Amino acid sequence: MTLQTQDIDLTACEREPIHIPGSIQPHGLLLAVRLADRTLAYASTNIAEVFGLDPAGTLGRPFAEILPDLSREFEAPLADPPPAGTTRYLRTVEIATAQGQRTYEAAISRSGECAVLELEETPPEAVSSLDSLYPTLRRFVEQLQGASSIDVLCGLAAQDIRRMTGFDRVLIYRFDELWNGTVIAEDRNEVLPSYLDLRFPASDIPAQARELYRRNRLRIISDANYTPVPIQSRSPEPLDLSDSVLRSVSPVHLEYMRNMGTLASMSISILRDGQLWGLISCHNKAPKRVSLQVRNACDFLTQIFSLQLEARENTTLAEDRVRLGAVQTRLLAHMAAEDHFIAGLVNHPDDLMLLAGAEGAAVLTQDHCWCLGQTPAEEDVRTLFAWLSRHHQEDVFATDCLSQVYPAAKAYTDRASGLLSISISKAHSSYVLWFRPEVVQTVKWGGNPQKPVQEEAGTSRLHPRRSFEIWKETVREQSLAWDRSEIEAVRELRNAIVGIVLRRAEELASISEELRRSNKELEAFSYSVSHDLRAPFRHIVGYSELLKKQEWADLSEKGKRYIDTIIDSAYTAGTLVDNLLRFSQMGRTALKPRRVDIHHLIDEIRQQLTVHAASRRIDWVIGDLPEVTADPVLIRLVFENLLDNAVKYTRPREKARIEIGSTRNDGETVFFVRDNGVGFDMKYIDKLFGVFQRLHRMEDFEGTGIGLANVRRIVERHGGRAWAEGALDRGATFSIALPDHIMTEGAA
Amino acid sequence: MNPTDDVILIVEDDPDDRHLLARACRKAKVEIPLHFAVDGDEALAFLNGISRAPDPQRPVVILLDLKLPGRSGFEVLEWIKGHPIFRRVPVIILTSSRENVDLERAYDLGANSYLVKPARPEELLRMVEQIDAYWLGLNQTLRAAM
Repeated sequence: MTLQTQDIDLTACEREPIHIPGSIQPHGLLLAVRLADRTLAYASTNIAEVFGLDPAGTLGRPFAEILPDLSREFEAPLADPPPAGTTRYLRTVEIATAQGQRTYEAAISRSGECAVLELEETPPEAVSSLDSLYPTLRRFVEQLQGASSIDVLCGLAAQDIRRMTGFDRVLIYRFDELWNGTVIAEDRNEVLPSYLDLRFPASDIPAQARELYRRNRLRIISDANYTPVPIQSRSPEPLDLSDSVLRSVSPVHLEYMRNMGTLASMSISILRDGQLWGLISCHNKAPKRVSLQVRNACDFLTQIFSLQLEARENTTLAEDRVRLGAVQTRLLAHMAAEDHFIAGLVNHPDDLMLLAGAEGAAVLTQDHCWCLGQTPAEEDVRTLFAWLSRHHQEDVFATDCLSQVYPAAKAYTDRASGLLSISISKAHSSYVLWFRPEVVQTVKWGGNPQKPVQEEAGTSRLHPRRSFEIWKETVREQSLAWDRSEIEAVRELRNAIVGIVLRRAEELASISEELRRSNKELEAFSYSVSHDLRAPFRHIVGYSELLKKQEWADLSEKGKRYIDTIIDSAYTAGTLVDNLLRFSQMGRTALKPRRVDIHHLIDEIRQQLTVHAASRRIDWVIGDLPEVTADPVLIRLVFENLLDNAVKYTRPREKARIEIGSTRNDGETVFFVRDNGVGFDMKYIDKLFGVFQRLHRMEDFEGTGIGLANVRRIVERHGGRAWAEGALDRGATFSIALPDHIMTEGAA
Repeated sequence: MNPTDDVILIVEDDPDDRHLLARACRKAKVEIPLHFAVDGDEALAFLNGISRAPDPQRPVVILLDLKLPGRSGFEVLEWIKGHPIFRRVPVIILTSSRENVDLERAYDLGANSYLVKPARPEELLRMVEQIDAYWLGLNQTLRAAM
């Protein structure tokens, strides 16, 4: 959820150049010495009171002449300050001032062409050495070992920072992905109210302040009512105070502090992987100084804390990874066991949902939608899929508030307030989605987040809100957030699926290449059979017939029988070759479908057949035969074969009965040819439609055994089915189903 | 009716097929003499020869096998159909193949007819009778002036 206050935050605070305020806080002084010529380039005006120096008269003069003691004391660091982004605490020094001997803590940093020396007056109650801080640090480190959770860890850090600094209240403040901050741990006395569990809007710490926090880990404001001390210079360029320990802060921030009822504050950045993770924020009702040494110790403690935090989070992440890795391994096994990866997912919905900690999931391709568990209705999922395909083609997309980016989701927040999705293929849009239901949450804001600032009437000056009273907000249409391990787990699943899809595609490509090659070989083979194998059979038939003609009279009965056998066999062999060629050609030529009147076709074939079976008694029973869409030449071949078989295998019957009819099925027409012939044994059903498979002896029924193979091949090329039922000596029924809409496929 | 210098050119490498064809022509009483070429090269040599001869024989129809050693029937067909004079002579493909690719290529190259060699001598005889009746009788061919 976003707050509609970003514009104010952006137009005012984000533009404020807080790194060049041109002033410092009054509890110390700042001297900037130009590296090139060691002249004093910038100085806080309070050098007048402290050293009795006239800033105007000293600027531009060699530093060694102005303050020879200090120049000598810090000669080395002034000549070679640390690189930008680092501030180094030097030591505590006694300095003779106009008011007598004073103790200062010195820090050095670099700003542009200058070495910046800052002298911070040591607070009266300051501890004198690191020794007194050491027990606290040691105890903190020891306790870290025993801290069981991040919450406990944060509690310890808050306690120890408060112990070292004596602030009234110490908060551990954690940023969310929108830079709103939540107080996750607190240690305090009774002076200031509890802020535990409160949330503060992102606008409270604007972007450039966050950037400064990232760079400069520790800031302190000793008194929100302070009067800033200006920095003077002859240069028109303001001095960049990004690394300064005394940097003056924005008046808006001081007002914010006063409104909050805290006059002193200190904050230490908690960084993770160089990014701002959170803050340790310390507050005091009254003005409060903390010595530079103690601040350094706090910084050190915070760094240890950050490392521990990182280690804890990594451990948690690693544990989650191991747990989800096991689920993922199971899913991969499911996918590997199936022909298509989708089956592996949709047949194991529990594992699929467990992977992302979701209560519902959906798998979508362009043609199909599988909804598993608690999901929106299928049509809603399909609409969401269309939206994703248009707007979120990235590999992984996650949101814990879908309705915010996709308003239609408001209708099913109880099932899908949170969406996590992976896009598997961009070309053939397919997605796996996970859903999480709405979890209504109450957020306690530190003041009304809708009104973080108030504009002063008639001016453009902004004022932070005056009230930090708890302001409760009920957050709806939002699910539990998808955590990093879950997002990573689905990303890995996506990679695995993409791998599987790619491998399948490669396998298919290689199979089709193989097919293409073997098809080409088959073509070459049948071509050569066509030209060469037919000639010898033709010659055997030709010459045998010539021989028979010329020598018939002189041949013995045996010789005559032999010659007839030669002719018959060679002729059959030639026919066999012809049929085989036709069979192979049938698979290679494209279908030319059109409307075919089956009734008319059957009539023609029947007449043709009865010419050859004139002596037979055949009872034809012709039922209703509708028109179908089919290749007319090929479909004729189908019925020729079926009717020819029916006539042939009823030959032993005194009265043959051949019935031809049709039935309607869903999207297809089924034709059948039933006879009362010799039938067949169902145990040979598998062989019935095979090429060159014969179930009867040649002496009983002639044929080459290719007819039914042709029938099945033609019907299947039309996208239909062919089957048979029968019993030995009890007739047979052959059926073919032709779909209403045949797929137009190219020649195989 | 047929001038004495007319001839039927038969390009056929198989001696059995040549023999069966010759027999069928004899039985069918085809009057025009046959000239056999046993391969593509011989066919081209014959055609090249007659275009130069002072008293040339004229092919009135050419029967062409497709599968020939060396130069294929298609190459012979292509040559004939690219020749300024012979391209007008009807070419009948007489082959074993029923393959679509062969049919397509033959017609694409300008074949005038495509016949498949039958198995039985009587069928061959009937085919030759029909060639005689149609291509040498009914069909009008251009008498090439050499």
